[in-house]
Amino acid sequence: MADLLFEVGTEELPSWYVSSGGDALVALITERLTAAELVPSEVIGYATPRRLAVWAKGLPAATPRRAEERRGPPANVAFGADGALTKAALAFAAKNGVGDAALKRRDDDKGSYLYATVEVGGEAATAVLPELLASVVRDLPAPRKMRWGDEPTPFIRPIAWLLALLGDKPLTVEVAGVKSGTVTRGHRFLLPGEFQITSAAEYAEALRDRYVLVDRAERRSATWRAVEAAAAANGLVAEHDSALLDEVTDLVESPFGILGEFASGYLELPEEVLATVMVKHQRFFPTRAPGGRLASAFVGVSNNKVADEQVVRKGYEQVLAGRLYDARFFWRSDLRKSLSQHAWGLSGIAFQKELGSMADKTARVGETVGLLLDALALPQSEADAAKQALPIFRADLATEMIFEFPELEGVMARAYALAEGLPQATADALLGGVSPKTHEDAVPATAAGAVLALADRVDKLVGFFALGKRPSGSADPFALRRDGLAVARVLAASGWMLPVTTLVEAGAAAYANGLVTVTTDTQEAVVEFIWDRVASLLVENGAPVNAVRAAILGSVTVVGAARRVELLTALLALPEMTDLMALYKRAANLSKSSGQPIDGHAFDRPTRALGADVRPALFSEAVEQPLLDALPAAQRGVHELLALTKQQLPGWDLRDPAPRSLTGLEPHVAEVVSIKAPLDAFLDGVLVLADDADVRRNRLALLSEVVRVLRQLGSLEQLAGG
Amino acid sequence: MLFQEILARLDRYWAERGCVIAPPQDTEVGAGTFYPTTFLRALGPEPWRVAGIAPSRRPADGRYGDNPYRFQYFYQYQVILKPSPADVQGLYLDSLYALGIDPKAHDIRFVEDNWESPTLGAWGLGWEVWMDGMEITQFTYFQQVAGTDCKPVSVELTYGLERLAMYLQGKAHAFDVEFAPGVTLGDLRRDLEIQHSRYNFEESDPDLQRLLFDKFEHEAYRLLGKRLVYPGYEFVLRCSHAFNLLDARGVLSQTERQGYVQRVRRMAEATAKAYLEYEAAKAAGGESHG
Repeated sequence: MADLLFEVGTEELPSWYVSSGGDALVALITERLTAAELVPSEVIGYATPRRLAVWAKGLPAATPRRAEERRGPPANVAFGADGALTKAALAFAAKNGVGDAALKRRDDDKGSYLYATVEVGGEAATAVLPELLASVVRDLPAPRKMRWGDEPTPFIRPIAWLLALLGDKPLTVEVAGVKSGTVTRGHRFLLPGEFQITSAAEYAEALRDRYVLVDRAERRSATWRAVEAAAAANGLVAEHDSALLDEVTDLVESPFGILGEFASGYLELPEEVLATVMVKHQRFFPTRAPGGRLASAFVGVSNNKVADEQVVRKGYEQVLAGRLYDARFFWRSDLRKSLSQHAWGLSGIAFQKELGSMADKTARVGETVGLLLDALALPQSEADAAKQALPIFRADLATEMIFEFPELEGVMARAYALAEGLPQATADALLGGVSPKTHEDAVPATAAGAVLALADRVDKLVGFFALGKRPSGSADPFALRRDGLAVARVLAASGWMLPVTTLVEAGAAAYANGLVTVTTDTQEAVVEFIWDRVASLLVENGAPVNAVRAAILGSVTVVGAARRVELLTALLALPEMTDLMALYKRAANLSKSSGQPIDGHAFDRPTRALGADVRPALFSEAVEQPLLDALPAAQRGVHELLALTKQQLPGWDLRDPAPRSLTGLEPHVAEVVSIKAPLDAFLDGVLVLADDADVRRNRLALLSEVVRVLRQLGSLEQLAGG
Repeated sequence: MLFQEILARLDRYWAERGCVIAPPQDTEVGAGTFYPTTFLRALGPEPWRVAGIAPSRRPADGRYGDNPYRFQYFYQYQVILKPSPADVQGLYLDSLYALGIDPKAHDIRFVEDNWESPTLGAWGLGWEVWMDGMEITQFTYFQQVAGTDCKPVSVELTYGLERLAMYLQGKAHAFDVEFAPGVTLGDLRRDLEIQHSRYNFEESDPDLQRLLFDKFEHEAYRLLGKRLVYPGYEFVLRCSHAFNLLDARGVLSQTERQGYVQRVRRMAEATAKAYLEYEAAKAAGGESHG
């Protein structure tokens, strides 16, 4: 047993790659070692901006030995008439490196052949590892690799050195023009230079002594502690920002927090602007007075512990001051016009050449919003807020601030709206209308914002699909999947019973007399595209794929599908439901043969009276009437389950798991399951496809009713495994 | 340290590392990358090292001299090392020492920044170098130029001279930087900056620039067709500048803008092709007098 240490020293890695690259290295090395039968007991990964490394513990000294039988020539070729081995047989033995003694003939159902017993394995780890590690370097996944110098082998950034040790023995790994040694390097500025490592166990400690925290989790907590401490020294609290902390952690090998200040006059800017400038542009942590508003101070994280901290602080402050100066300049300059005046500028900003300008787009969005407001019975105040927001929706795109800080779109619209005295609800709708921009971003906070957001996204989807610019494979140049995901999330979070088809129709209607023709095929494609996004969100949150499929095929609204997924997942855990599913499947198959198609997305619609098509007069067997009689209870159970689900899950952002588990299902499940016995008896006791056409039709109608009742839970055939 | 002293020290530093200290190009360029000594020499297999001040123009970046960092005319210091040597980061940090900056006394960071020039059909990966939070240098390993893979790979270092000088002299505005004893950068460039900002944003004649673009483009292709690579490329640069002026004037729709970018890119690719053919023919001994 020996421990392997392998370090790839690089020029500075992109910060977003450090963590995932470290994980990828652990995964790939584990995979390759396992495939080579050098299975480690544990693999620990390290990652900093300048190195990715693994410590694979407990590697066997060699691959395991075992006997392997190899089939040679057929017996009639391997043996001469005299029973002696032929030339062919000897050649086979030589090829496998064994003597006569290892050869034997066997007759079995595969025929008669000569076999050689070959000892395999037993390769020394020191012999296997050099090429194995080189292959890991060559194959380490990265989104965009690069070449350097004359070297043809690409890597995410140029490789500066390699370190490979098995136990205390160096391994010679050669890849990408670099030959491994037993030295690593300390912190680029604090203790540069090479130094010897003699075992894997001492690696992390030895680097810690040289100002490198190789353990990423340790470096992350150290970074946050440094930030907190720097702020606390001035009685301030640093704003925790997980994404920023991740980024900063991977921009340093050792973190040193430095508190800086800016002129308090800049506090006239909206907090989001200040935070964006600090966080996005300078990677500084904003600070607050405890419980209070943003302070005119920030914490930067230096990678270097310098003799005179003033030098670095002054640098940080000067750069931030320049950025804030610009931001305040834009803020004041933008405020000279109202948002309605800025909105005039939208005609000069292209949306997409075939789909017109942003002014054309917002006009279409206005029409769609009108249609959606007709379809949704929103409180008057929300409808009013949406209508007030429309003429200035996305007007901030024409401001200088957004030209400079595009990520503040919506945030600035709200800030400018409030600054010019518009109502809070209108201002919130302007921000909500462009939310969520990313996976991390929240869904709109208000109903008015949600309506604008849906209209805006569906306009883009319909327009681009009509142009034939839909995503294919991994290519999604217009980020339409992001729009689809936003639609799915907003619809689910709103809790609105707005069919996806209605939304898409409202989007398409705004293109009438317009720039492109939106066919029904295009609309259907957009609808399916949105459902696919719904499915991917639900599956990402751990819902079983068959439950997702059953729920989506059985729903017309996104929130309906999301609720059904929760309900079906809960039901699937109950043993009494399993039997019912099997019976359901038989019933569904039969009723399908009646020629009534089982269509998707058909379940939130009002249905006709239960059993209206069944004529009891045509019953001839004793098991028919009981099934008809069992329908109302089952129907009641199903309705209660759906009502309960709706009540317990009013709607939530599909990015997150459902906010709670369903409770109190049992009595209603019992009602649903009460149909099992009569259904079982019916299926066993009658010939559904009777010769008499009227009887046949009547029995099929009865089964269809059973299916209809149960399918309100979802497209259950998806669950029954077919 | 005076601005001209910074320049002299960088020249000396890179000359000692085998670079040709090349005089600036005398046609308008958007960045040092457009220099023939960069754009063309990054193509093909021959080793090449060049450095020097690279005055550049980006009409849309004009701020009438108000913004301390942004100008429509500015000085870059451009270094090309082909093939990129091992430990080029160390070489770079040593150049900071040469300017009297001790990297150990600062927070210096190599922060990912990938570069792409749609007009040159070029892209590369690298960093922006931060010193105490301020970006002072762009660092790029060219992967493709004019749509062709770079073999070997060149590394380009672009120092923001104004920023470095501001830092070294502790000035808040680039125009306050002392260029020579008693002469500031503002003395040299303020009037020019204000007048050109007015020209770029208010006075330039879009119809003339469109016309010039068409004529220059025609001339570029005519010359490249005659294997006059350098004159042809100058007209490509002029097209690029005409496009930049139109862009600054805000008269291009998104579609139109994209169209111009593609036209410059096609010209850049045609130039690269003509250059490589010319060099190949020269190597074969066939091309010297046309």
